[in-house]
Order: sequence, then C-alpha cells, then structure tokens
Amino acid sequence: MTRAILLASLAAGVLTTITCPVLAQDDVLVLDDDVTFDAEFGLDEDLFGDAFEDGSSALEKSWLDGFTIRISQQLSGQINSHGVELAPGFSLPREAELETSRLSAIVRYQYAFTPGWLVQASGWARAYWNGDYEYRAEGDSESTEFRVNDFFVQHSIEEHSFKLGRQTVVWGETVGNSVLDVINNSEFRDFSIIDIEDARLSQWMLVWDYFGEGSNFSSFINLYPEFNPAPVRGSPFFFEPPFNLIDYDRGSSLLFEAGTQWRKSFEGSDIAFMAAYLYENQLRYEDPLSGTGDAVAETNDFLLLGFSANRAIGKLLVNLDLAYSHDVLANSFSFPGTSSLANPVNLKKDQIGTSLGFEYAISNYQNVSLGIQAQKLLDEDEGLQPGQVLINDGVFGSWLLRYSNTLMNSDLVISSTLQGDLNANSLLALLGADYSINDNWAVSGQIVSISANDESPLLFFAEDVRLSATVTYSF
Amino acid sequence: MRNYFSSKRLIGLIAILFLYPLHLHAQELSPRDIMEKLDDNRRATSNSALSRMQLSTCKFGVRDGKITCAERPRVKSLESVGKGYGQELRDTRSVAILLEPAAERGIGMLSYNYDDGSRDNETWLYLSALGRVKRIANGSSDDETEPGSLFGSEFTTEDQDTGKLDEYQINLLEEAVEAGRDVWKIEMIPNEERARKSRYSRTVHYIDKERFVELKVEMYDQYDKEIKRMLGARVEQMNGIWIARSTTIMNLVTNRLSNMAFLEMHTGIDVPDEFLTQRTLTDAAFRETELDKLRAQIDR
Repeated sequence: MTRAILLASLAAGVLTTITCPVLAQDDVLVLDDDVTFDAEFGLDEDLFGDAFEDGSSALEKSWLDGFTIRISQQLSGQINSHGVELAPGFSLPREAELETSRLSAIVRYQYAFTPGWLVQASGWARAYWNGDYEYRAEGDSESTEFRVNDFFVQHSIEEHSFKLGRQTVVWGETVGNSVLDVINNSEFRDFSIIDIEDARLSQWMLVWDYFGEGSNFSSFINLYPEFNPAPVRGSPFFFEPPFNLIDYDRGSSLLFEAGTQWRKSFEGSDIAFMAAYLYENQLRYEDPLSGTGDAVAETNDFLLLGFSANRAIGKLLVNLDLAYSHDVLANSFSFPGTSSLANPVNLKKDQIGTSLGFEYAISNYQNVSLGIQAQKLLDEDEGLQPGQVLINDGVFGSWLLRYSNTLMNSDLVISSTLQGDLNANSLLALLGADYSINDNWAVSGQIVSISANDESPLLFFAEDVRLSATVTYSF
Repeated sequence: MRNYFSSKRLIGLIAILFLYPLHLHAQELSPRDIMEKLDDNRRATSNSALSRMQLSTCKFGVRDGKITCAERPRVKSLESVGKGYGQELRDTRSVAILLEPAAERGIGMLSYNYDDGSRDNETWLYLSALGRVKRIANGSSDDETEPGSLFGSEFTTEDQDTGKLDEYQINLLEEAVEAGRDVWKIEMIPNEERARKSRYSRTVHYIDKERFVELKVEMYDQYDKEIKRMLGARVEQMNGIWIARSTTIMNLVTNRLSNMAFLEMHTGIDVPDEFLTQRTLTDAAFRETELDKLRAQIDR
C-alpha cells in the first residue's frame, strides 16, 4: 500500500507540474457569473484567427491518420481492512492491498484503403508491475499480455455492407444493463471495469447489413462462439475452485450462433425486432468424473426473441428492451460486472426480461440516466428436485443510476454510478473524476464502494472500498 | 441654353435612378421578408454543401477591454455535409463527423431539422464505445437549461435552427450601424407554443442590409436579461454566398464562449440521400467512400 501511496503522490506531482503552466492566464480578468455584460466589450480579433492560417485540408489524408493510441498507467487497490463474516464465527479477512499496477497501450486503427473497403483493428498490450495481482499470479515476476479485440475488414457496396472478422454486435437500446446485450461475451476481470461497454469482447463473425429505403436489416453468423473467460488467478474475482476452470473443449462439434435484426426509424422514435440462436456466454462447470483435474465446461444454446424501442419526449429519452429467451439455464447470475460469479444449474427454462431506461439531459453539461433490468423464469418450479430452490426465483434483476457533470470547459468530468440488484441485497457505488490536462494528457481517479448482505454473491466484497488512479497519454 | 445635364448632375441622376429602386426594394421588405432571406442564406450554406469547420470553446474574460479566452480553448475539427429537403428545401438534413482531437475521432452526429414548428428536430449520435447509434433527445427547454449542444460547445440546436418563422412575432426595431455596416435590428418574439420549446423570450438580430448576414444576435431570457450573444465576423463570399466565416457565441451566464470557424465550404455538391441517414454513422466504409466522392466534386 505504501508503494501505491508513493505512486499516487508521484502522479499528483506530475499533474501539478503539467497543469500549472497551462492554467496560468495572466492579465485576463475572469468575470463573475453574475456580471452584467457591458456592450462596450468587443471580441479580441486575433482570438481564433489562427484557424484560418492552417493550410491543411481534409483532402490531404495519410494511412497513418487512422491510428489512435492511448498509453496509460493504472494503480488501484482495496483500501479498507476489514473482515467479512461468511458464517457465524467464520470471518474472511480482507486486508488493504494494491491490486493493479499496470502499464497499458491501447491501439485503434481504421483505414479506408480503397473505395468501399475498410479495415479496423483495436487491441491492447499490458505490462504488469510489482504489486499487480497478475505479477503475484506469475510468481512475483513482471509479465506482459496482448489481446486483439476488433479486427475486421468491411466492404460496402450499394445497399449492402459486409464485415468479416472480430467485432461486436450490440442490440440493446438501454445503456448499461440491457437484456438484449447478450451476443458478445464479456470479461469483468476486476473492479476497474464495471461498465458492460468496456467489458465486451469481440468475436469472429460475419455481419451483413442491408440498408433499405425505409428500414434496415442486420444479420450475423458466428462460427466460433466464445465464452466468458474464467476469472484470472489472483484477481479479486478469483476464488480457488475445487477443480481447474478451463475453456470449453469443442472437440469435433461445430458451434455456431446466428441472428437477425430489423430496424426502422420513425419521427421521434426508433424500433427494432430481432431473433437469434445463441449460446449463453457463461459456461456451466461440472465436476470431473475422475474427481480430480479439470472441471468439465458445458455450453447451453438458447433462442432469443427481442424487441427494442426508443422515444424522445422533450429532453427525456425513454428506452425499452424486451426479451424472450427459450431454454436458458436457471441460476445464471445477471448482476452486471460480476458475471464470472454465476453458477448456472443444469435446468433449462424459458425466461422473459425487460430493460427500461430513462436518460435526461439536465443541461449541456449534466446528464442523468436510470436503467432497470427485470427478468423472470417461466414455470420456475417445474423440473426442480424436492427441496431444490433457485437463486433467481420470482422477479430478479438490477438497476443502474448514472449521473455525469462536465465542468471546467469540458476538462473535468465528474460521474457517479449506483448499481444494485432488485432485491436490495447489494449496492455498488462508484464516484469518478476524469481530468483532461490537454489534448494528449489526462488523469482519472475512481472510488468504488460495495455493500452486500449474505443473500448476494457479492458478499465476499462487502465493505470493500477500492481506489484507483490512472494517467493517460493519447495521440 | 443652360446645361441641365452637367456631368455631376448626370451621375447624380443615374445614381438616383439606379439606387432608388434598390432603396425602395429594401424598404418594401417586411421584417418577416428579411428573416426569410436570412434563413434562405443560412440554408444555402448547408444545402448540398460540404464544409470543414473548427469549433473552439473556452471560459472567457476581459483583457485590454476585449473579450478573450481565460483558459486554453478546447478545439475540435469537424467535417459536415448537409442538404435541403421538403417544401422549398426548408428542412435540412446534415451529418457532422469529428476529425480531431484523436480521442474523439469518428464520432458522428446526424441531424434532421424541420421548418415546421410542430415537428421536433431529430439527432442521432454514433459513439464507438457504445458500438451503436444513439438517439439524442433535443427536447424543449426551460430558462434554466440548454437544449442539445453541438459536440459540447455553446452552439445549440436551437441557435442553429432555421425556419419555424410562423411561430414568431417579428418586429423591425430600427435601422442602425453595427461593425461599420448598415443593419436592420430585428426582434423575434416566440409565440406561446414556441416559447415552451425555447430558452429565449426574445432575440434581437443585427442583419447586414446588403449581405443578409447576422453580425450580432442578442438572446434574452424571460426576465429580459441578455443571456447569450452571437457575433459574426470575417464576412466573406464563399461560393457566391455571403457568410460570417467566424461565428462566436458567448454564454453570458456561464461566461463560456464557442467559436465556429468555417475553414472550407463548398456548395452545389450532389449529396446522395443515402448519405444523410444513420448508415453514414455506422458504416465507415460507406461513409469514407461517399466522402471521397463528395470531395472529388470539389476538384472538378
């Protein structure tokens, strides 16, 4: 923890050093908010004159322009030493400790290399320093990791567009916790990511979009469905399992996913219907027959029928997602951010679900949104063993409340997120601040607090408080 | 015989003969006519047009009696394509794509602006982080809040609105001089229906008599306090259209200003209807191909 404090102090020092010259604006009288504007004031004629002296033109483009690179150093840790009482008389100690200390480079590239053709790629590379849980998992040695996320080629011709490669397909309208956002798998490796938008993983797919006169079709086929990765050893979500959790052994079986969506826009509203044959992103693990070695990972296929709509009413945007899922496994844990804690049982059920979202622009600078996700298994008691009780009985789901405020000429964005389950068994509260020092440098800080009772799988993290700081350079 | 037609008198007579009808024509223009001509001029800048703009925003202060930025401005560079639709091309569809800064590159905004006051304008945004197109609620507004902003700047959809003139009482306040130019000072007061959707109780426009360009606009709240001011500068003819190439809007409540500099503007571009749809936001291969075709028209 001392190391974390030292590094945080260093980051603060760097921030102060970089920002001070930028913020210094001598000789300028900053006006009070309640000042009466004097008509005599004219505009400094040279203020934006430089814009017209720039001889560059949008016509002059290079293939190198397509690169966007972000390099960041992140430190985060659990700062509240406490114990979690898992059973009467048995308390699990939770010591304050540094969890992540890592340098990341995120590269994104998009280039239209010839008319109608485009390539897009994104990926990241990370170096795990001393103190990071990956460092500890590697036997106290520094390690690196690389991952390609998006990587696809797109060809658009007349009304058609084809994308082949690693990509994501997003169907839900409700931001954050849509019941329709189930096509791509995701990885919530630790609490530095709790938004599904950041956790979504790309998959190998062919996507065909047809742009018609008044409506659009979008269809995909995935011949290599992937599943949520098992928790990384050493991460906050990793608990020593009785057997090794491995990826699904495909053998000679051919898995595929396919789906199609029809979308139409009306004045003030957009609607879509969709249908898909999918595999659940979370694998179900069974104990090995031998009683030792690797657990047996099992997949589950299901059918999804969905409908989504939005409606703009003044400054309020209402989003609605409806889903009917046929043959999903019971007990698939649905709390956003912690899908790796799911423990589905081998019992197929039909399920209905809805996500309702409200987004309200308080002003140019402030936004508030509320998303509620509710699901229910149909005929939930059918097929249960005597005495067997489902975790997800009745209506279950989650809610998400977000607020953001943009300050200081958009240099500072303060955001807060509250996320809980509908049964009020857990609450995750996040407060974040992102400060752009200039177009290249930015710093951010985040504090996450978790409350949970013994009805929630988040019980292990009850009373945890996590603090993180990140310095980023983009170009 | 006295020479009634000395050269000076002749010139004077010719001047009267030629200028009188123009003067009469200008006088015959009603305030509504003037605003319609202004609107036509504005629409011409976005009708079948490809533009490149720089959008700068900062907190402002005063130095040597002049308004200036009190902090480093946030600068965004964007490319915009627009086209007129509907009766007399009074509705506008436009798409704007951010080119800079790097972190926001590729973010696109599609807007449908309707002349008819009973129809709310529509906006969609593509955010790569979300991976999909998102409708934005432009909405109505009260005196405490702002309607939809253009990429976080002080320019709002309402400030860029054209049409809906039927929903205003339009008065000629006086003829004056602004920035050394003869101007009409015209007041626009929204009717009850429009007032519910507007942040302004009235606006006063200083319109260049010769060029039909706004040199200044004052926006007032319900307490008749000036809350925003727009200034047009660098009035130049681009592709035969008079335009204020540098437009600055000052928010007098938050003391923030945004400047929009028209770096390039090309009109008479043949913009296909398909380009002004959500496809342009999501289908990057289509967008880049079509943009190249539009740019190629400029070279011809």
